[in-house]
Amino acid sequence: MKNAKIKCLLHTLAHYIDVTICHIRMAFLMIVEYPSNIAGWMISNPIQFILGFATIKFVVEQFGQINGWTYGQLAFLYGLSVISHALSMIFFVQGWFMGFYVVEGEFDRYLTRPLGVMYQFFFTNINIFGVTDLIPGILVFLYGCVESNFTWSIAKVICILLMLIGATFIRGGLYLCLGTTSFFTKSTMDFGQYTQEIMDKTTLYPLSMYPESMQFLLTYLIPIGWVSFYPISGLLGIDSGQTYGLLASVITLLVGLIVLAVAGLWFNYGLNKYESAGN
Amino acid sequence: MKWINKYLFVYKTQIIRSFTYKYDVYGNIIMQTIIMITSAFFWRALYGFDISKPYGDVMVNGVRLEDMLTYIIMSSVLSVLLSTNVERRIESSVRNGSISTDMMKPLNIFGIYLSEDLGRITALIFQNILPILIIGSLFIKVPAMSDLTQLPRFCISMMLSFGINWLLAALFGMWAFTAIDVDALIQVKKHLLRLLSGSIIPLWFFPDWFANILKALPFAYIYQLPLDIYIGKSSDVEVLQMMTIQAIWLVVLGLAFFIVSKRATRKIMIQGG
Repeated sequence: MKNAKIKCLLHTLAHYIDVTICHIRMAFLMIVEYPSNIAGWMISNPIQFILGFATIKFVVEQFGQINGWTYGQLAFLYGLSVISHALSMIFFVQGWFMGFYVVEGEFDRYLTRPLGVMYQFFFTNINIFGVTDLIPGILVFLYGCVESNFTWSIAKVICILLMLIGATFIRGGLYLCLGTTSFFTKSTMDFGQYTQEIMDKTTLYPLSMYPESMQFLLTYLIPIGWVSFYPISGLLGIDSGQTYGLLASVITLLVGLIVLAVAGLWFNYGLNKYESAGN
Repeated sequence: MKWINKYLFVYKTQIIRSFTYKYDVYGNIIMQTIIMITSAFFWRALYGFDISKPYGDVMVNGVRLEDMLTYIIMSSVLSVLLSTNVERRIESSVRNGSISTDMMKPLNIFGIYLSEDLGRITALIFQNILPILIIGSLFIKVPAMSDLTQLPRFCISMMLSFGINWLLAALFGMWAFTAIDVDALIQVKKHLLRLLSGSIIPLWFFPDWFANILKALPFAYIYQLPLDIYIGKSSDVEVLQMMTIQAIWLVVLGLAFFIVSKRATRKIMIQGG
């Protein structure tokens, strides 16, 4: 009896993996459909982050340093933050366009298919172009490693990986939470630009520069602080007000899992309340 | 003057349409407020803000924190005034073919798009700009103009910058006639505008060589110049000089717009059959 259950579960899993592979293949085909698009994304995403990084450089040159963070350390923070942004763009960007799916009635299509709704929502239009964000992120990160004299060790590599997974989950969870509001409001709002601007301000710079009330808010209520600030202070050995050291990366992963779980519950709750725009 | 009534009708329809989704309005206000307040904290932190002596006289590049905060609030206001939809509008109507019905109307299609954008922005004045100004005044500071005699100049340069901004958007949008999918190009334009126009980081924080390059490009004349006039950063001579360059850019982009739109609309005719 138990065996049959496990077999059934494995079968479903295999099916989902098959579908995922199909989706990724389709995503690649769709990229090729509009050639000018490839060129556009190849230029636009790197431009955004390289210029963004240049502005930080210019600002730091004017003001010396930001709250005790040197230029190299800021580059380190910036790089890792952009990498987690890129990963969240690949897997979770759909959360930004939820309103569009709800209002235009696209969402109904997901409901009629025999696959998990949330799975379909994120993987049907998997955004391969997010990879273009990765490149500037990795470049700035490596540059930051050199500038801040970062010493590598196996423990730190594991921490960085854990932290990246956690940070991607936190971002994804937050996008999903915001997007789910569209179920209730039926708003077409494109949260993308706003979310990105807020995320830029709070994850690309050290959180310690903001007033304590805001730090508290961004640590416990909306855990954006864990996306980059706390784990990276731990990695670089900077005092962040929280004395977790390298352990901060593990906490980031846990926070990420919690945020994603909460977002999932919220999404399912919203789905129950969902009424098709059509009728 | 009868032709203008037709455009006024498009304008009015768009205003009414803008009030359909009320949650969009709330959402926009909340998000923009968060961004504005975060930016204010950001600059306060950079200037080493001290609560005991609110507007200290730390000067960075000849700019006090007080002016910087005004700059941020006004930049948020401008970003609403300068939001355009024309590029997306062209793209979506080329893609779903509704451009052909747009072109059949007894109006110039770009006239329609401009009236729609103006209608949207008129609605946004009530939906976004007033709330932003009120919230900004309450929580950051009252964004008073440094010298009220500059008001006419500010208004003129605002209009010119609206023109430059709209023409740039339309020019990028017209790529859709040939490329069909211009999402990425719109993104390129958006990022260039965000980072090179001084809307987030004013140009005076950039090194001289870079700022000089930017002063030759049209982007700086969209945000930086009107805001400079507003906070009274530049001298009269400089302002007049910059406004001349702004006007030249408007003419250049206007010419480019006419040439490109002639060719592009001819092209779409061929596609239509």
